Formats: sequence, structure tokens, C-alpha cells
Amino acid sequence: MKARLHVPAVLLAVVASAAVAGCGGGGEETSATAVAPPSKLTDRVLVSGANPRVKPADLARPIAEYKRYVAAGLGRMEGDVRRLGSAVDAGDLAAARRAWLAADASYESIGAAYGAFGDLDARINGETAGLRGGASSPDFTGLHRIELALFGRGSTADAGAFVPRLAADVRALRRQVPGLAIEPLEYVLRGHEVFEGALDLQLSGRASPWSSDALVALESNLRGTRVVIGTLRPLIDPREPLLVGRIDRSLDALARTLRGLAGPSGAMPRWDRLPAAEKTLVAGQTAAAAEELAYVPEVVDPRPLVPERPAIGEVQAE
Amino acid sequence: MSVRRRELLLGGAALGAGALASRVPGGASAGAAEAPAAADASLAAAIPFEGPHQAGVLDQRPPRAVFVSFDSIAGSRGELAAGLRTISERARALTAGYAALFGPTGEGPTPDSGILGPRVDPDALTVTVGLGASLFDGRYGLAGRRPTGLKPMPTFPDDALVDAECHGDVLLQLCANSEETLLHALRDISRETRGVLGPRWKIEGFLPSPGRESGAGRNLLGFKDGSSNPDVTNDRTMADLVWTGREEPAWARGGTYAAVRIIRNRVEFWDRVSLSEQELMIGRDKAKGAPLGTDRELADPDFSSDPDGKRIPLDAHIRLARPRTPESEGSRILRRSYNYSRGYDEADQLDMGLVFVSFQRDLEAQFEAVQKRLEGEPLVDYIVPTGGGYFFLPPGVRGSQDWVGSALFV
Repeated sequence: MKARLHVPAVLLAVVASAAVAGCGGGGEETSATAVAPPSKLTDRVLVSGANPRVKPADLARPIAEYKRYVAAGLGRMEGDVRRLGSAVDAGDLAAARRAWLAADASYESIGAAYGAFGDLDARINGETAGLRGGASSPDFTGLHRIELALFGRGSTADAGAFVPRLAADVRALRRQVPGLAIEPLEYVLRGHEVFEGALDLQLSGRASPWSSDALVALESNLRGTRVVIGTLRPLIDPREPLLVGRIDRSLDALARTLRGLAGPSGAMPRWDRLPAAEKTLVAGQTAAAAEELAYVPEVVDPRPLVPERPAIGEVQAE
Repeated sequence: MSVRRRELLLGGAALGAGALASRVPGGASAGAAEAPAAADASLAAAIPFEGPHQAGVLDQRPPRAVFVSFDSIAGSRGELAAGLRTISERARALTAGYAALFGPTGEGPTPDSGILGPRVDPDALTVTVGLGASLFDGRYGLAGRRPTGLKPMPTFPDDALVDAECHGDVLLQLCANSEETLLHALRDISRETRGVLGPRWKIEGFLPSPGRESGAGRNLLGFKDGSSNPDVTNDRTMADLVWTGREEPAWARGGTYAAVRIIRNRVEFWDRVSLSEQELMIGRDKAKGAPLGTDRELADPDFSSDPDGKRIPLDAHIRLARPRTPESEGSRILRRSYNYSRGYDEADQLDMGLVFVSFQRDLEAQFEAVQKRLEGEPLVDYIVPTGGGYFFLPPGVRGSQDWVGSALFV
């Protein structure tokens, strides 16, 4: 059978722009020979052929680096949860809320690894969505159950039972980190999916309905994304030399906006009380960053080129 | 966004990726030339993007439109200019049509949303850009360049404006034969300008099927609307009534001012009113659209022979809007409205009405003069203006490298 390959994006861009330049590119039915509109793809600069495709093994070092970062983040979160427990025990609502925001920020900064956390992610960060009974479900126990107590009900007592369990879950998770299996493909996808998650869950207000701490979470998402991009940079730069610069510019713009919104103490305003113009700015810059980050997985995709699936009639009996 | 990608492209040439160095605007025409012919005439209909004036003003209305008002979130004047330029670059390609590059699956962001299939047909698409007065504040150093007649839309006495659907820095008016063409264009432009323009409000409009009857289309009050528009084929009339001239700074000549008004119709209340009462409020026969006492839609209502309003009441809508006196003819406006419909209100009443759009050379001498005459008309009980804004439409683009608004940044 013919083993046609998908044309890699590198070649595709060249073919497409050759067509644009009027050098042909005649009309076969395959996408590679379609006449290109002035699309994003034709605007790419991929250093054609200079570097082989990324292999899963190339991602071992970035993932190892990222795991160290995750372990540090969870270590910080353990401290946050300890302070949360003390404040809850003392009945100090304001201190409990501060500690909760810090814990949520810690967890939101390691989002690229959530997929590897298994059940512990749902225990720590589960939301009411999808739970029978919603907030009253017995399975609603983690950060957001405590958020409901502290921010929704203004009660430290209501949080009391859940803090020790959260502390135990975070500790268990931190201990698991060295053995955590983060799949190479999943890791490169998280390079932009953390921002997609922020647009879907944080800026909609769904993730943290009681504390409305989307800006806190977004700043953490940004920090974590920078770490992911930093670990991947040695693989990205030789293949698409300007991509990281573009990503950095978009993230810098958002970071500046977020810092500008923080109060003198550094505390973020609630998302649901932010004026519409500032929401528009944050959402726009977040989406603009997602547009840039979306190119990451392609450039460092660790999968081998997949042979095109045979058409009917092409498959011959062995 | 694409201008940065274009910088990228030039950088690529410097890096030796020479095959990628072709400038993208040429890509649009090359793409159009290579695109297979459209299956039907309405898909093939192309309205040129380039010209002395912007498209989407004099052209016959295609049946669908979307109006999106944006606030600029650009961090600098350069970013704003780049965003506006991107709109024109995309508009040039989208209005000409091209063969969409779908790209192989699993290879990064799809270059095209694909919602039109492999061929992006022009489908009578127009992309029209307007600038609101707020863009000329201190943010981008444009304060000194505001077009003479541009100001924020005021609140008129019968208005019930909702701030969330008023005003805006940049208006995008997209018109086309089909809704999917509009949404394809909007998604395409948005993904390229997301970091520059944040949406403020959006409303979609439609027209009745043209095959239904001749003459002006009906609004959702059931009356023919737009019958007495000025003649768009008369250049002299358009120069007098629509296009800006020497009263404006050089960069702003050949543009026009748009008054966009979201005017809700209280259709359920309206339907509970008798036909004769409706006709007296409007001044037209509902079935034919003819001015009362005449038999043709385009007949002159001849107000001078009816000074006491026995045939057409003195406060009828068409009489106040256009009294047809020598003094009032200079205040004529070019209307290009669409109907809209969008769900129910808190009282479970249908929320539908008119996206009123008028183009004029002078907002105060034309749109506002008409508006003032209409104040307190009997029809106001049935219509509720809730949003919209004033926008200046810069002149059209000259040549393949030009973009709408470019002269503002020179």
C-alpha cells in the first residue's frame, strides 16, 4: 500500500506561499496544494528542515524541570493550607480568606500537570459542576468547598471539616510528584490549554463563584504557562525562532495589566466587581495570548508523522 | 495578530526562509484568481473592497448584517494602527474570496474556521469600518484629529439607552448574503485583532426575502421602510447628502457619518392596535406602502395639498421625518437599516426591532434634525431606542497596500 504522509506544516507553509507567489500550486484535492488565503499558516516562519521533529525523549528534560516546579508549588500550597487551617481554627475569617486565595493561587500555577494528578485533582480542585446535588454533594470537599464556606457563607466553622482533608490531599499529591507520569504530548498541549481553561472557567466566573478570584487564578495560570514555555524554549527556538518572543510579548502585556489592577497591598480585586472596560482588556489580552500560545503544540509535537489513512480500495490484503 | 505575523514573515526572509517572503496582500488576489467558480451567482457576487468610498454604504443591502462595536484595548498608537490595518487586509481577502486552506488535522491552529467549506466565496460581503468619538480621546494621541462632525451619540428625549449597547471606539459593519459568511468573516477578523479590539456590543440584522414583494422591505411593525431614500446612483446627491467634503480635514474627506440606533419595537403592543390607527401613525397604507391617499409606494405624499393633516396627520411619522419642504430636503439621510430579533425581555415580551442605520454628511444638520422633528410623535409609544452610536466612516482605500483609517496615522 502507498504510505502517503501528512505533509508537515513546515513544507505546507512553503508550498502554500509558493502558490501565493504565483509559482503554481495547482488544484489537487489535498490540503497541501490548496491555494492559500493570507492565513496565519502562510505567515509562519518555520525553519524548514533544519531540525528534526521533536521526539518524546526530547521532552524528558522539560517535563523533569516542570515536575520540580510542581513539587515546589505544592510545597508552597502545603504552607498556605497550614495557614488556612490555623486561621479557620482561630475563627479569623479575614486571615482564612487570605490563606485560601494563596492556596488557590498556588494550585492554579501548576495547571499543566492536572491531567497527571488523577483523582487527587478532583478532590483538591473539584467544582460543583457535574456533581449530583451540586454544592451539597458529599463529593464536594476541596478548595472550592472551603471557598463556599469562607466567601459564600462567611463562616470559618463551615470550612473546618474540609481543611484537614485538603491538607492531606495536597501532601499526598506532593509526595507523588517525583513518580508522576506526564505524557509528552499532554505536556506540550498544556502550553496553550491552561489559557483556554482560564478563558472558559476563570473569566466566566464559573471556577470560583464565591471568591470571584479569577484575576488571582489568571495571574497564576500566566506564571505557570511561562514556566512551561521556558522549559520548551530550547525545542521551540530552533524550529520557530520568533514564536517565544511573540508569546512573551502577549504574556507581558497581560501581566502588566494584571499588576496594574492589583491594589497597593498587591491584592487583586474581585472579577465580578471589575468595571466592564477592564474586563474587556483582560479578556482580550488573555485571548490574544491564547492565539499565540496555540502554535506551541504544533512546533514541538512529539508524535511521529502519521501515515495518512488509506482510502477505500487502497487497502490490500497482506 | 496578522501584522505581527507579517513582521514575522519579513524576519523569516532575513533568516533565509526565502520561500516565505511573499507579502500577504498579494496572496489575497492570487487566492481569488485560483479559487474555483462559485456554484451560484449570489455566492459569486463580489463588492470591491477598494474604492474612493467604503463599501457597505451605497451598495444595495444584502439580506444579512452584523454590527459589532469594539473598544480599543491597544496599548499604543502603533498597535491600534496595526489592528485597523489588519481589518482591511482581512477584508480585502474575504470580500474577494479564496480557496480556504484547511491544513492537515493535528497541525496547529486551523488557518480557516472552515464553516464555509473549502471555498470562501465573496457572497456580497462588505466590511465597513467606523470610528467612534471616544477613539479620539487622549489615549492614542488622536485628540487633535477628530473629524469635525464626530461626537458621542446624545440621549434623545424618547430614548431608553442601555450603556452596554451604546457607543464604542470602532464599529465593524459586516453585510452579506448569508449568515455563515458574516460569521466566518467575524471569526477570521476577530482572531487576528483580539489583542487590539475588545467587543462592546453586537447585533445581527436581517431583511425580508427580496422575492416577497417589490419596493422597500418591511420592518417588524409590518410597514415598508426606506421607500423615500435618496437616489444612491446620483453622485451629486450623494456628494451633497452622504460624503464628507471640504468641511473636514483632508484625511477625512470622502467619508461619511453613520448613526446606528438599536430601536426596539414593542411588537406585541403594536399588534394589539387597529390597522387604521397604525396607518395614521406611520402615514402609509400598510398593504401597499403608499402614502395615505395615494396608490403607489413611491408616490409623492403631496403634503402641501393637505395643510391640516386631513389625509396624512401632521404628526404622522413620514410627514415629520421628511416634510418635503425646501428647507427640510437638505436634512435627508440615507437609511440602510436591518431588522433584528433576539429573544424575550423580563416581561416575556419579544425583543425585536430595527437596527436603524443612516449615513449622512452632517449628523446634526441631518440625522439630528430629523430626530428632533420626530420627538414626541405618536409612534414613540411603540418604539424604544436602546442602543447604538455615532461613527465616522473614513474614506475608502486606494490601492492594495492602503487600509481604512491609514491617513489618520500619517
